[in-house]
Amino acid sequence: MSRGHVGILTTYHVHEDGTRIIYGGAERYALEFTRMLLEMGYDVAWWQIGSGWIQEVTHGVPLYSIPLQEAAYQTCPALNQAFFEQARGIDYAVYFSTLLAYPQAFERSIAISHGIYWDYPTWETIVPTERHRREWRQRWWMALNGPQRVVCCDTATIRFITATWPGLVGKLEYIPNFVDLTAFYLPDEDDGERDEVRVLFPRRLTSVRGVNETLAVMDELLEKFPQLEFYVVGRGHSDHQERDMLRWAAARARAYYFWRPAHLMPSVYRNVDIVLVPSKASEGTSLSCLEAMASGRAVIAGGTGGLTDLIIDGYNGLLLRPLTVSALRDSLERLVNDPQLRRSLGRRARMTAEAFGLERWKVRWQRVIERVFHRGG
Amino acid sequence: MPRLTAMMPVRNEAQRYLYEVLTNLSTYVDAIVVLDDASDDSTAEICRSFPGVVLSRTSEPLFLVDESALRQALWERTVETRPDWVLAIDADELFEERMRHEALSLIDQQEYDAVEFRVFDFWGDRAHYRVDGAWDPWRKRVRMLFRYRPGQTYSWPRQRLHCGRIPLEIRRSARVYQSDLRVKHLGWLRPEDIRRKYEQYRRIGTGLDPHLESVLDDPSKVGLEEWIPAKSVPF
Repeated sequence: MSRGHVGILTTYHVHEDGTRIIYGGAERYALEFTRMLLEMGYDVAWWQIGSGWIQEVTHGVPLYSIPLQEAAYQTCPALNQAFFEQARGIDYAVYFSTLLAYPQAFERSIAISHGIYWDYPTWETIVPTERHRREWRQRWWMALNGPQRVVCCDTATIRFITATWPGLVGKLEYIPNFVDLTAFYLPDEDDGERDEVRVLFPRRLTSVRGVNETLAVMDELLEKFPQLEFYVVGRGHSDHQERDMLRWAAARARAYYFWRPAHLMPSVYRNVDIVLVPSKASEGTSLSCLEAMASGRAVIAGGTGGLTDLIIDGYNGLLLRPLTVSALRDSLERLVNDPQLRRSLGRRARMTAEAFGLERWKVRWQRVIERVFHRGG
Repeated sequence: MPRLTAMMPVRNEAQRYLYEVLTNLSTYVDAIVVLDDASDDSTAEICRSFPGVVLSRTSEPLFLVDESALRQALWERTVETRPDWVLAIDADELFEERMRHEALSLIDQQEYDAVEFRVFDFWGDRAHYRVDGAWDPWRKRVRMLFRYRPGQTYSWPRQRLHCGRIPLEIRRSARVYQSDLRVKHLGWLRPEDIRRKYEQYRRIGTGLDPHLESVLDDPSKVGLEEWIPAKSVPF
């Protein structure tokens, strides 16, 4: 028997035209979150921006699209209102990003923050004047106030919110992201007997993920180190960017570009030595970073957002603050030249990842869900 | 391990790419179900030379008269091979080399039920594909690999032409993976095939189809890109 109907509002689980599928961390989070709700006995349905098409998130879980766009300050009041009307039959709501809860939220609802997303220079174009910034803060404050609980995947967001509005502290829950510790594991015979050193960039090809700095560094280092191999594994933000990336890799010896379905990613991690997560902004407790750590790889991460919750520089990875081409180059050279360091960082990374196991994430979430959905807050 | 069956309608393909396509398919599928639409060349002989091919033939050409019936007949023979997955492919389509190594891992999972691929229309030679307008292969994805569930109903739209290579139920399927593996479509490669195929589709088509008309575009209007060779990943 169903424990109730949960409606989840997101902006884009798939591209708004319904054809281009997005394979980012948020989408994998969405899938795992849906599975957990199903395991708990809830019926689940999703809503997002789109032309009215209907798809499924997974078997028996519909994804409805609403033909409304984002408005100012990355809020979606019309979408929020349409969700409020269309999802009237639901018992509980989840806002898959906090601003979606503006201007109104269902009585029994939870909002999720996937991390700070306004920490890059072009954010200025969204809030160019003090008046805009005030309005954005006002909307965000309303969005945080509506739901009964706000689940934050990193502590950076919690620090920002509690510094800005101390009165909201009681609403916040810290549930860092997860990794499946059985799928992603440290191979017994680590580093093997290979002569080559394999570097992996397992991210979407976007500026905030540091793709431009990474390619600049790899261009140099592939020339300098004949034992180096470079793997870019992730989709672009557009179809033609994927073509350009394929061309970039084809023009360079020992550079590869491809992507693989999620169930094949553990073996990709196990077959490389160094993983780059050089995010510059808009980052939470990155699933890619956790997967690399659980696989016992040496990680080089940008010192931004939730990555600082995962990596202690020099202990279980290298953290770049700030992330620059030269800092990335220096760290990478250091790891290429020092297999001992790679191994020790990787071993400690695996131990760290054990605190972020999928089962622990579920327990934390189940506790919040029980409290909000069934005990009124 | 999941069993993969390819299904393919053919007609008079002996002088084109059939041998090459069957050779390629034989390296990663368990069976190739071919429905020969009353060819009058040596298509059937070529098919028979491949041990994995399950061949049947129509007595009269059906494709241009009732494609839906042809697809249905091909489907019935395909499910007789008890597949777990089906690859709907044409006699002028070739997967890039990586497919040989990756096909099994692509289907040996429970995360998705269908796979889409980018299809590249080669034009003039095997080094270039067409990219202008609706030919742009980077923006299009073709659903051609899917899970078969024995208890489910499968159907095709009742239409004479362009009724699609996969059953209607698969087109609505939700759990789809978009692969980076590329398909080479060789059907427009040779100028003589371009004119022949154009005439054929024009004869049986209904109304003006701008994409079909673009087949005869002046070469100055045709945008081409050079094929980017794929590298074989060492793991």
